[in-house]
Amino acid sequence: MFKLLKKLFTDPELHKKKVFLRSLELFKDLSSKDLGFLVRSLHSRTYKEGEVIFEEGDIGRAMFILETGRVELGMREAASGKTRKIFTLESGDFFGEMAMLERLPRSASARAIERSHIHLLYRANLEEILHYHPRIGVSVMTHLAHLMSMRLRHANKLALVHQPPTYG
Amino acid sequence: MARPTSQPRSFPFLTVFVVLGLSAYAVFHLRAVLAPFFLSIALAYLLNPVINWMESQGLRREAAVVLFYIVVAGALTVAAQQVLPGIKEEFLELKQHLPAYLDHGQEALLRTQAKVLRWLPVEPVAAKGYTDKIYEPIIAQIQNVPSYLVGLFPFLSLFFLIPFITFFLLLDWHNILSGFIQLVPGRYVEQTLYLISEVETSLGNYLRGATIVVAAVGTASYVGLRILGIKYSIAIAALSGLASFIPYMGAILGAGVGCVAAWVQTGSILAGLKVVLLFTGIRLADEAFVQPVVSKHAVKLHPLVYLLSLMVGGELFGFVGLVFAVPAACIIKALLKVGWEWYTTEGYLVAPPLEGESSPYT
Repeated sequence: MFKLLKKLFTDPELHKKKVFLRSLELFKDLSSKDLGFLVRSLHSRTYKEGEVIFEEGDIGRAMFILETGRVELGMREAASGKTRKIFTLESGDFFGEMAMLERLPRSASARAIERSHIHLLYRANLEEILHYHPRIGVSVMTHLAHLMSMRLRHANKLALVHQPPTYG
Repeated sequence: MARPTSQPRSFPFLTVFVVLGLSAYAVFHLRAVLAPFFLSIALAYLLNPVINWMESQGLRREAAVVLFYIVVAGALTVAAQQVLPGIKEEFLELKQHLPAYLDHGQEALLRTQAKVLRWLPVEPVAAKGYTDKIYEPIIAQIQNVPSYLVGLFPFLSLFFLIPFITFFLLLDWHNILSGFIQLVPGRYVEQTLYLISEVETSLGNYLRGATIVVAAVGTASYVGLRILGIKYSIAIAALSGLASFIPYMGAILGAGVGCVAAWVQTGSILAGLKVVLLFTGIRLADEAFVQPVVSKHAVKLHPLVYLLSLMVGGELFGFVGLVFAVPAACIIKALLKVGWEWYTTEGYLVAPPLEGESSPYT
């Protein structure tokens, strides 16, 4: 009886989405209730193979969370004008967070290389979460800040390695 | 930061404007049929956050909507049991006394006409001609009051139709939105979400704000009129509350109708003045206590834009146009804002802001 009622009244899709989101580093600290609010703030879309998600130079307003499929990131080479593949994202990866935070042009292009189901966290929805559910917002922003800091350290190291030697 | 190297994209502005133009043309011709749908969309907008909250607690959307309807239906049944006898009583009394009130009103107008005639420094025959021209339409309108009341009955069907349409809109809110996002080419999804977010913010805030004002003005009017002992307080309060969707109109209509009702019922102009004072007080209280709360999140429209949209809405669509004028202005404002930003950034007419660009990082 209880099982029947549970089946009638609870949303299995919501549970599936919560399980997926909790598996991500970004949302691992959120409670079940917090994840429920977060799911309601996400938009979902399925991209066909080869479909462009965004292009380098587009103004970024959303962060993308890849649930299934694969997405290729590419950058245009200034000299040849051709797009060079820089990274392939797999299920569970997220991308586009930098431009979302800064509202700046995207630094790379993204294209689905197979049928991909993607969740979009739109900037206005993130702001709404920060305003009405600060606990969720702080947790997400802390993880994003941690990620940015790691990338920056990595970029600093790379810059030092490639710096020409100085003498005298 | 280097400027993006990609060429400006050719966004299909022409296609968008053609589609928008054709949609506006279709809406204009189908306005009578579409009115209940627009009202239902507005109601669904208002209720959607409640359903979303229930859903985020783990409830299936269908269950959340059904549960919400059951709770609201229960609350309305209880409220109706309290209010309906009062409305019935008011209606029966109005039906019984309306002919007498109309005669009374006509007599009062004729008496005033006679007084005005005595004061005017012109020949009595010529003066009567002028005053007849002023008073005849008013007397004709008074005689039409019963037919106006009967004319309101078709609107009653909306009370059943709107919750019915709203039910399905609430059920499929996410599916409609997801379906729309799925239709948009992948690259324009972010821009579309930006547009939806801007429209949602301005329209949602206007509707929620207006609902608070309508409830506050309606309740205050009812309590005030009951204290003053005016009959038909429910009808006058409902009229005043609903008219508050249009700024200032609630107080003006409430004061006007309430003043005439008080004057006709008591035969004293002082009772009418008390009603005018009551509605002036309600308007001031609305400005002092309700508006600061409402306008904090409300849409920022210049009063002249407000007025212009009401005039255009009224001219094009009549009464329905008055109701939808401001929400339509909100949508147009959001469309223009997003469209202009789109146009300027896509065409690289403006550089995007580079916050903290010069700050050294550590």
